[in-house]
Amino acid sequence: MPETVAATAPTVTPAQAAMLAARLVGDRAGDWDRAGRLPVDVVRALNTAGLLAPQIPTGYGGAGWSSLDSGEFTAKVGSLCSSLRSVMTSQAMAAWTIERLADRAQARSLLPRLAATDTAAVAFSEPQAGSDLSAMTTTVTMTGDTLRLDGHKVWVTAADHADLLLVFARLGDQGAVVVVPRATPGVRVHRRADPLGCRAAGHADVWFDAVRLPTSSLLGAGGQSLSLLVTTALSYGRMSVAWGCVGILRACLTAAVAHAGSRHQFGRPLAQHQLVARHLADLWAAEQVATRVCEHASRCWDTGSPEVVTATVLAKYVSAGHATRAAADAVQILASAGAVDGHPVARAYRDAKLMEIIEGSTEMCQLMLADHAVNRR
Amino acid sequence: MTVPSDQEVSDTGDRFDTAAPELVRFLTARTGRTWPPDTDLFATGGLSSLFAMELVVHLEQTYGVSVRGTDLRLDNFRTVRRMVALVDRLRNSEPGDHGA
Repeated sequence: MPETVAATAPTVTPAQAAMLAARLVGDRAGDWDRAGRLPVDVVRALNTAGLLAPQIPTGYGGAGWSSLDSGEFTAKVGSLCSSLRSVMTSQAMAAWTIERLADRAQARSLLPRLAATDTAAVAFSEPQAGSDLSAMTTTVTMTGDTLRLDGHKVWVTAADHADLLLVFARLGDQGAVVVVPRATPGVRVHRRADPLGCRAAGHADVWFDAVRLPTSSLLGAGGQSLSLLVTTALSYGRMSVAWGCVGILRACLTAAVAHAGSRHQFGRPLAQHQLVARHLADLWAAEQVATRVCEHASRCWDTGSPEVVTATVLAKYVSAGHATRAAADAVQILASAGAVDGHPVARAYRDAKLMEIIEGSTEMCQLMLADHAVNRR
Repeated sequence: MTVPSDQEVSDTGDRFDTAAPELVRFLTARTGRTWPPDTDLFATGGLSSLFAMELVVHLEQTYGVSVRGTDLRLDNFRTVRRMVALVDRLRNSEPGDHGA
């Protein structure tokens, strides 16, 4: 899957990126969560540094990172703020979709923008098409050199502030992805208030009413298989979500260990109570398992192994499940100390649950993995 | 995307004799089933679109081609013969540098 790119040194190293993210987020993630909004300057600062989508090839002005470096950075941001990590997932999934589907002129026009200035969101879900994206009704029709887009997308992450919307749609009996600037007449973006998790990630519903654009807005001229289009985009999204869950697990582990080591009850630290110690062991094991399964998937991505497809579904499934259970454990250990909105483990508890739903629910992942187990050797 | 993607896939690739056995070996190794050149992989009871994605990556890695844009049609991966034809067309017509 990866593009061969020139071996140019990235402008920002992964270590520098991690420090920048820690500085940008600081201790403000809880405030952003409660306010339901990320500061524009934080998103812009990450984008300017090329870090919203660091796998964009250097030939297109990106940092050209490997999946493994990008994944570790995604986990770092995910440990600080899942909303910001969600925005990264959207941006990088948009960039990957463009890299994969666009013709050369489109890639040259769009990717450098996503590598530095513009933000993007990817619109899949519809009111009647969630897991079953074959039920999608958003439609593109072509007349001469103009296309018309009509439809309604829901729960589009980062759409509330995105400059560009990548919209999956039907084109005849095939699929297509249309790049829609949000300022185009006929586009209406309506923010989703108070989502369960990733509250500051700018989820929105978007309506497209007779939106007219040049046919060059259709990535790669359109007419691809809708299922292959979706699988292509989601392969990046799943990898990113999986690494984001590693971040959630690390944040929970850090908070739980600190609390269990310092809080005394019945004359000794919580960590020395066996039932609490078991939670700590499970938290650590979950972080390790998720990290290893994500590393494996990223190595498959970086080496172009066909196994990447299944390894990515596995990474997403394992990491999201572990994050959900481990976040519940962390809240249990911190108890009243963590049971307040905005606290890292309270956010983790809500954010992790959402990770079991987006980019292929836990159940959809199970169906894919079962199919793999049955049909392959 | 470096190749006009609206070309019809030829059903007789020059490299059919060399590429097809490798592809059949890959399919057999992954699925435990044999796949004659014209058998539809994705027909009822066949393989998933997730597996199609795996085929995309396998073709790219094994034959040094880049399958992009409109070539991401399920029809291009439907049979061994069609995949060989796709590889053949991409090898003969693309410079191989998708990067800008």
